Amino acid sequence: MADSLHRASPLPGGTVTLEGATLSAAPEMGRYSLRARDPAALAALIGRELPDAIGACSGGIARLGPDEFYALLPAQDALPSGEGGPVSIVDVSARAVGIVVEGAGAARAIMAGCPLDLDRMQPGRATRTVFEGVEILLVRETETRFQIDVWRSFASWLWRSLAGVNAA
Amino acid sequence: MSGYRMEGAGRPDRSQPVRFSFDGESYQGYAGDTLASALLAQGVTLFGRSFKYHRPRGVLGAGVEEPNALVSVIRGPGRFTPNVRATSVEIYEGLEAVSQNRWPSLKTDVGSITDRLGMFFPAGFYNKTFMWPRSFWEKVYEPAIRRVAGLGDAPTEIDPDRYAATYAHCDLLIVGAGPAGIDAALEATGTRKRVILIDEQNELGGGALSDPALNPWLEASVRDLRAAPNVQILTRCTAFGFYHDNFVGAVERLTEHRADIGDGPREKLWRIRAGEVVLAQGAIERPLVFEGNDTPGVMLASAARAWLLRYGVAVGRKVVLMASHDSGWRDVFAMAKAGMSVAAIVDVRGTVDQALLDSAAQLGITVHLGSSVIGVSGRHAVSGIEVAANDGGNRRKIACDALLMAGGWTPTIHLWSHSKGTIAWRDDLGAYVPDKPNENVRCVGACAGKWDFGSGVVVPALPTPRDPTRIKAFVDFQNDVTAKDIGLAVREGFRSIEHVKRYTTNGMATDQGKTSNLNGLQLASTALGRAVTEVGLTTFRPPYTPQTFGALAGRAKDALFQPTRKTAIDGWAEENGAVYEPVAQWRRARYFPRGSEDMHAAVNRECLAVREGVGIFDASTLGKIEVVGPDAAEFLNRMYTNPWKQLQPGRCRYGLLLKEDGFITDDGVAGRITDDRFHVTTTTGGAARVLNMMEDYLQTEWPDLDVWLTSTTEQWSVIALQGPRARDVIAPLVDDIDLSAEAFPHMAVRLGHICGVPTRLFRVSFTGELGFEINVPAQYGRAIWERVFEAGRPHGITPYGTETMHVLRAEKGYIIVGQDTDGTVTPMDAGIDWAIGKKKPDFVGKRSLSRPDIVAPGRKHLVGLLTEDPDVVLDEGAQIVADPSQAVPMTMLGHVTSSYWSASLGRSIAMALVAGGHERMGETLHIPMPGTTHRAVVTGTIFFDPEGSRLNG
Amino acid sequence: MLLIHCPYCDEKRPEIEFAYGGEAHIARPHDPSTLNDEEWEGHLFIRSNPRGRHHERWRHIHGCGRFFNAVRDTVTDKFETTYKAGEPRR
Repeated sequence: MADSLHRASPLPGGTVTLEGATLSAAPEMGRYSLRARDPAALAALIGRELPDAIGACSGGIARLGPDEFYALLPAQDALPSGEGGPVSIVDVSARAVGIVVEGAGAARAIMAGCPLDLDRMQPGRATRTVFEGVEILLVRETETRFQIDVWRSFASWLWRSLAGVNAA
Repeated sequence: MSGYRMEGAGRPDRSQPVRFSFDGESYQGYAGDTLASALLAQGVTLFGRSFKYHRPRGVLGAGVEEPNALVSVIRGPGRFTPNVRATSVEIYEGLEAVSQNRWPSLKTDVGSITDRLGMFFPAGFYNKTFMWPRSFWEKVYEPAIRRVAGLGDAPTEIDPDRYAATYAHCDLLIVGAGPAGIDAALEATGTRKRVILIDEQNELGGGALSDPALNPWLEASVRDLRAAPNVQILTRCTAFGFYHDNFVGAVERLTEHRADIGDGPREKLWRIRAGEVVLAQGAIERPLVFEGNDTPGVMLASAARAWLLRYGVAVGRKVVLMASHDSGWRDVFAMAKAGMSVAAIVDVRGTVDQALLDSAAQLGITVHLGSSVIGVSGRHAVSGIEVAANDGGNRRKIACDALLMAGGWTPTIHLWSHSKGTIAWRDDLGAYVPDKPNENVRCVGACAGKWDFGSGVVVPALPTPRDPTRIKAFVDFQNDVTAKDIGLAVREGFRSIEHVKRYTTNGMATDQGKTSNLNGLQLASTALGRAVTEVGLTTFRPPYTPQTFGALAGRAKDALFQPTRKTAIDGWAEENGAVYEPVAQWRRARYFPRGSEDMHAAVNRECLAVREGVGIFDASTLGKIEVVGPDAAEFLNRMYTNPWKQLQPGRCRYGLLLKEDGFITDDGVAGRITDDRFHVTTTTGGAARVLNMMEDYLQTEWPDLDVWLTSTTEQWSVIALQGPRARDVIAPLVDDIDLSAEAFPHMAVRLGHICGVPTRLFRVSFTGELGFEINVPAQYGRAIWERVFEAGRPHGITPYGTETMHVLRAEKGYIIVGQDTDGTVTPMDAGIDWAIGKKKPDFVGKRSLSRPDIVAPGRKHLVGLLTEDPDVVLDEGAQIVADPSQAVPMTMLGHVTSSYWSASLGRSIAMALVAGGHERMGETLHIPMPGTTHRAVVTGTIFFDPEGSRLNG
Repeated sequence: MLLIHCPYCDEKRPEIEFAYGGEAHIARPHDPSTLNDEEWEGHLFIRSNPRGRHHERWRHIHGCGRFFNAVRDTVTDKFETTYKAGEPRR
């Protein structure tokens, strides 16, 4: 029955063309906030490797802090709840939506409102940061492709802001 | 010469004539002209009226330092920019500019009567004269003064323009593209450094643009810089502020110079983080202080040189130089060689370099050494000057139509000072220069005091045989401050330059004293008989030059001003006619009017629908935190006043959160999902604050606990279904949860599915009725809402908003933190000390509940108020007194916190914080409101269904 | 806008990613009920407010999320050092 229900996204469909970059909505994804004092225990529990360094991102999992990881997985990939273990696994798939910024001008478009020096951000890195006053999770997938995860209620504002940067 | 335009001289493109208007009159200039150069070329001398005295003023400078020639530029509806410097306005076809601060016209200005009648307003005049009666200041004096003293009009329409903004990062930022800045940039070409070179003018070159001999060098340099892949050049871009850690703010003007502004942004805000900053902002020539120095046609020698050699405009047919510095001599030599007639050079110094005298002789220029200008004739333009020897003798008149001043140079250390670099006084320059840096920044060229302008002497004011108390020798042209004002300030006891500045307003105009600070300082120093360095220097603050609010706001305008957070169900509310109210950053449906209903009617209907049938409410904005880990219960037990350890999975509890000072800071219901997992809710506005507070305790006080916090506010859409028919509505949609009252009691939570979608179904109530809160993943929020709404139609389901929610909860005496509490209310004050776990040894805020002032009698308590007249709805915020006939100011007992019309009760209800309220039950108190004072009886706070029987239906 | 070194991320990051958290090294007493009123007042309200070196807490709230300690000069606004929560006072 759930399959027949409309699943709503706060983002418009389609693509916006910026100078040297395009803006599009990422597909629905599985999102998990993963926490543990001992990352090894967490890795064993979910059966996946975890990146070592804060800011690294591999296999769809970013290390955001000493005890915090964020998994961005294909929608069908579910993680166990970790019940009873010394971990916290919380399904936050619906909390955020993804915006993909892709193209040679992608970094410049994001730097319109993000204070990080993206010239110095390597592919395979991820971090929480801000776009103007709004918190985002920024993943540099490749030299020219970023995914921005943003909480659902801020998504429409962020989309419009990004779509407007080339008013610059 | 055509008009004052010198054929063959200057950079404006003679093949591109440009027509524009000033004060409604049409003029022609050329592409590359500024408004000032184009008007000067037509013989215009009068550009504006001064701030206080409405004195006629012309052009003093040739760049952003210009204090006099402020104009307004009009570009159609909403595009009105006041107070821009004519020297910085590039002309374009159709430019429309008008002068300011004059009526009815620039040439016949009624306000100038103050000047003509000698009605001078000395320093402190306003403060001294308009002191009494006090009430007159706001209503009479200030509006009158504002009418006559002023700058351009403020725009009255909404700015239709868009503004861009960006961050930028570089290894080397160079501010100023004169020769020194260009050299610094050239050094970095061919390196791996990311370089940004910015300049406020339309083309690179700075002072070199006024020196045709440097043209070949300039052209080659600019070509090299433009070809360098690592150098980004921004022209028409002003670095207005230097902030911590080499963070520089700059505004790039994108359309101000274009006839067709297109549909792009008007300006772009650059927020630049630089590894190293090189400041190459140059220096500004200093005016000299003497009677009549503000007459149109009296200007800086360097400006006259720029007008001639950069713009091809002679500022007069016969000019005189008044100098205390060699640079002016060189300027007039260059101008004489270019064909201008120089009638004389007057220099306050008794001797100057022989080479200068030789050159003057060769060019046939008469020289008066040891002499000063003591007067200027002409009102709207210079017609001549009077000169005297410094001892007062040998007075004579010289006919001329322009007088050039060369008073030495002031390095432009504004940004250096923003960066908190120290400065050092140089006696030989008579100026402050950069000393020790506070950031990774250095100054080069003239702004470091390194120049080849020659030498000079510093004179606070030129010697004059006239009575110095009777002359008008201006220091700050824009704010109309004279040398006399500064002397008066010192005589009246002001010792610090910061105080002299504020008393006289010297340096406080929109130019921040670019031409006046040093002269003001010298005058104060002389009057005080103390060294300049002991008098201090006023502080430079951003912006270096005025910037538009639009540029500073950037994209943060209209819909992008700040995010309006919307729930997944918001669209349904909009389609169904919701009226919204802002709650924190969210917009929430306040009520759903039908037909012509006003809020009162709609809310009454919605309230009754919930009490008698069923209502549906979007509660998605409630803050939600998933608390997970083996120590989850222990953690909540320490944070909240309530006991949590014995709560069984599947059950919920109201949680009350205090700050360590014992005052209520938040509340909400938490459900235990499993042993190790709680679903905690917070208030809408408190979500981020509570999560931060919890993280603080967890990370820094109890890092040993194995528990983690995850915000799930936006994971779940929350549909509140409230009313006696609520169960009937969802029963057909939920097949894996036993909804019966026995299996699923009040304050319980069940996991299951609704319409096939996984749900956390809470049985909770903020209305006092049977109620459910359906949590579903947010992408399903709207679809489930619509299914529930359809299922509710046979039961008369009614959507309701926050206003109805407020009324319903108030009828039950449920508090809203932040409305019925204000950060000084304890659980006892609020009458909810039942929520305190009496056996708990500790929780956040517990120790404070026995603080002496918390247990003292007479604290304000939350009570109910029932007005004697049941139709009167008290104003929220209204004050409460015991005796309305007491003298004003009355002793106030407290205030009304919540007040509504209750349709269910057929009367008004209110809650209030009242001193000793719990001991006043049954007492009648008085609430003065506009027009009348109301009587109300103190009651408990539960007005409806005090037994709570409806909750358990 | 300051650049602040986050000791967890080991990077200098822009101030806008951080939130200030008041004076550092003020530990909540293990058992507040053993404190008399003056001692509790001191814990709650009394802060050093120095001119110069100030030990203070920051949170990299829009980054790794961690609270950490810093020594900042209240006159120059310059950070002398930052270090992880739980490490000894510097």
